Amino acid sequence: MLKKILQDRVYSLLVLLAAISAVASIVFPSTFPTFENFRQILLNLSIDTIVAVGMMILLISGAFDLSVGSVVAFAGCLTAYLMHFFGVPVPLAIMAGIAGAMVVGLVNGFLIAYQGINPMIQTLAMMGIVRGMALMVSGSGIQNLPYWFNTIGQSKLLGLQMPVWYMLLAVLMFTFLVNKTIVFRRFYYIGGNEKAADLSGIRVKKMKLWSFVISASLAGVAGILLSSRLGAALPTMGRGLELRVITAVILGGASLSGGFGKIPGALLGALFMGIISNIMVIARISGYWQEIILGIILIATLWLDKFLQKKYADLR
Amino acid sequence: MRTIELQGISKTFPGVKALQGIDMLIHPGEIHAVCGENGAGKSTMMNILAGNLQPDAGRISINDQIVSLQSPQEAFEHGISIVHQHLSLVESLSIAENIFANQQPTNRFGFIQYKLLRQKTKVLLDQLDIQLDPTTTLSELSYAEKQMVEIAKALSKNPELFILDEPTASISAKETKILFNILKNLKQKGVAILYISHRLDEIFQIADRISILKDGKPQGTFPVAEISKELLIQKMVGRTLEETSDQSHRTGEVLLDVKNLSGEKFTNISFTLHCGEIIGLAGLIGAGRTEIARAIFGVEVKKGGEIIFKNESIVFDHPEEAIERGVAYVPEDRKHLGLFMDMSIRDNIIAASLKNARDGNLFSSAKATNMASSSKQSLNIAATGVDQIVRNLSGGNQQKVVLGKWLLTNPDVLIIDEPTHGIDVGARHEIYKILSKLASQGKGIIVISSDMAELLRLCDNIIVLKEGSKAGTLSRQDATEQKIMSLAAN
Repeated sequence: MLKKILQDRVYSLLVLLAAISAVASIVFPSTFPTFENFRQILLNLSIDTIVAVGMMILLISGAFDLSVGSVVAFAGCLTAYLMHFFGVPVPLAIMAGIAGAMVVGLVNGFLIAYQGINPMIQTLAMMGIVRGMALMVSGSGIQNLPYWFNTIGQSKLLGLQMPVWYMLLAVLMFTFLVNKTIVFRRFYYIGGNEKAADLSGIRVKKMKLWSFVISASLAGVAGILLSSRLGAALPTMGRGLELRVITAVILGGASLSGGFGKIPGALLGALFMGIISNIMVIARISGYWQEIILGIILIATLWLDKFLQKKYADLR
Repeated sequence: MRTIELQGISKTFPGVKALQGIDMLIHPGEIHAVCGENGAGKSTMMNILAGNLQPDAGRISINDQIVSLQSPQEAFEHGISIVHQHLSLVESLSIAENIFANQQPTNRFGFIQYKLLRQKTKVLLDQLDIQLDPTTTLSELSYAEKQMVEIAKALSKNPELFILDEPTASISAKETKILFNILKNLKQKGVAILYISHRLDEIFQIADRISILKDGKPQGTFPVAEISKELLIQKMVGRTLEETSDQSHRTGEVLLDVKNLSGEKFTNISFTLHCGEIIGLAGLIGAGRTEIARAIFGVEVKKGGEIIFKNESIVFDHPEEAIERGVAYVPEDRKHLGLFMDMSIRDNIIAASLKNARDGNLFSSAKATNMASSSKQSLNIAATGVDQIVRNLSGGNQQKVVLGKWLLTNPDVLIIDEPTHGIDVGARHEIYKILSKLASQGKGIIVISSDMAELLRLCDNIIVLKEGSKAGTLSRQDATEQKIMSLAAN
């Protein structure tokens, strides 16, 4: 049991989350441990988590994508643009928004996998390009979106807002895919050793292309959901999201060198950051300090992890 | 002139007593060989002498002065220089910058003098008979050439104690000869040389004295004239091993017919592989052996010729197709091309047959565990379980994991590149037995090897390559080391 907790970030994060929540419940008994508060925490992290699921797959395969924040804005704005200015029916506009995101992923994936461009450079450049495209289609933002488009992100089920359900759906679906399908298992091999994976008969280039398409598509879905929740599409949506998401995924057990990570880790990493932010808000810590504290927590967690791994190795 | 003495050196890692009371005296002008199976503690001892590890007990003295080697820098200051088995080179830098890493010649303002750097490098390379431009980027070199650069790097420090850890594991006979001449030269200059190798023939050829380790315990030091190879092996492994030529299982049925195959680094290669036959590809490093294997397996594009597999002309454009049709290729570089070092034995073994680890359409981890467990058992992989991470296994067990991965794809043709590279005697014999058993089951095997004893033992036919062309074929009956060498080198 101790071995599992020390070795698997999903378990160690769960334990840590439980401990932090217990302490916060004692210190802030009237504000922290309420259904209303947790509903808010979950709603706030739902968009990030959907993007984080895709990012987790990329990190497992040893890559990452900095353009996801821009894709969130672009997909939301493109969908809104089509509905608002051309009266395109809602489902078609949503499909077009996701398709737009997929194209971004295809371009990223093709240039990285088949042309050998470094993922960081490629997606950094794409981050700027796609942000510009979002500005182009939406100008300063598009409001007055169709009513039933807004209900997608604003309605509730069993007391929880819909984005929370979509997030859970994404996490469950991709947990299943990654654990249970041969295709998704391959990402671990690619992240573990790309050359050995290729010699083992895995079509590495093709798989890498698809990993970027998956991540961009999830970012697209998140963007459309966000504009539905806001009732407006803003070109500034998702700014800084890429770094938040990468932070959450790393906290959730992924490694920048690839080969490690589990999909539930993406949710737990985001939840961890969400709960810490929430506690800081309740404790009325200033916004400046919040950023500093989150940064320190990331470093401390990773250092603690190294320390525990070493302790574990010594235990044997 | 320095005499290095180890007294009662012990080192314990969590759960393992790596070294227990090692005493050793290394004289100046002596080539002192250290033998032992993988895991016997040789590398730990090297790392202690190189300053990478600190002993728990015991002391090291140089000329009767007790020294403490807390870092590689301190070891270097005491004149200790080491040629690592796993290369310590930077791929993106030039040969010159690698050799003189952190000791580049500078002018009085502290700026690097590149012209002098190149000249000094050239002198070193000439000494080693390496025909390479000092400005060549390391990533352009072959594995053997990198090993030679590693040796040059250690030499550049003008060592008093020169430690070599498996230096010939990846270089050819010609380069080994050059290396041995250099070692003899150094010896005459009074340098103490500590030489680690699995190749016993080499040890008998070059060493003055041999120290033997088994499970971290010293088994004695012997002048080379006073110990026989049999006795040495017996002391290393604690049992005797038969050194025989295997029985042929070759049948008349043609499995693979390669006709006039040409590629980037080889031309006009033809041979026929029958069911149950083991063919050897011999030749110096760079003769095109690995490239031929990669062309058959679909990693490299062939430029001409034809490959007929099971009576059908085939072109694989990716290993996936080769695997599906029943061709497997075990690459030479285990660490970089064969294994997923941080993944479990299980995940490594099923890597090339993921499609079989299914229950219905879904991946079944129970089935994967079963597949891996039975491979672990049949290949006799020493590990606590299939969940163990491959990085923590010894070289021999790692090689068995790679072999297990490929056997699980149930190949008809197995191409295996340097099957026993850096593997101890015990595991080596086990791998020979596995290959021989596969041949008896009617599989065709192509063995690429620089170890001639290995080829002579295993192969029905040995194809000798020279600079990308076939220099000759030797059958089991006529093959000798001399004949292979004369075909490969002349």
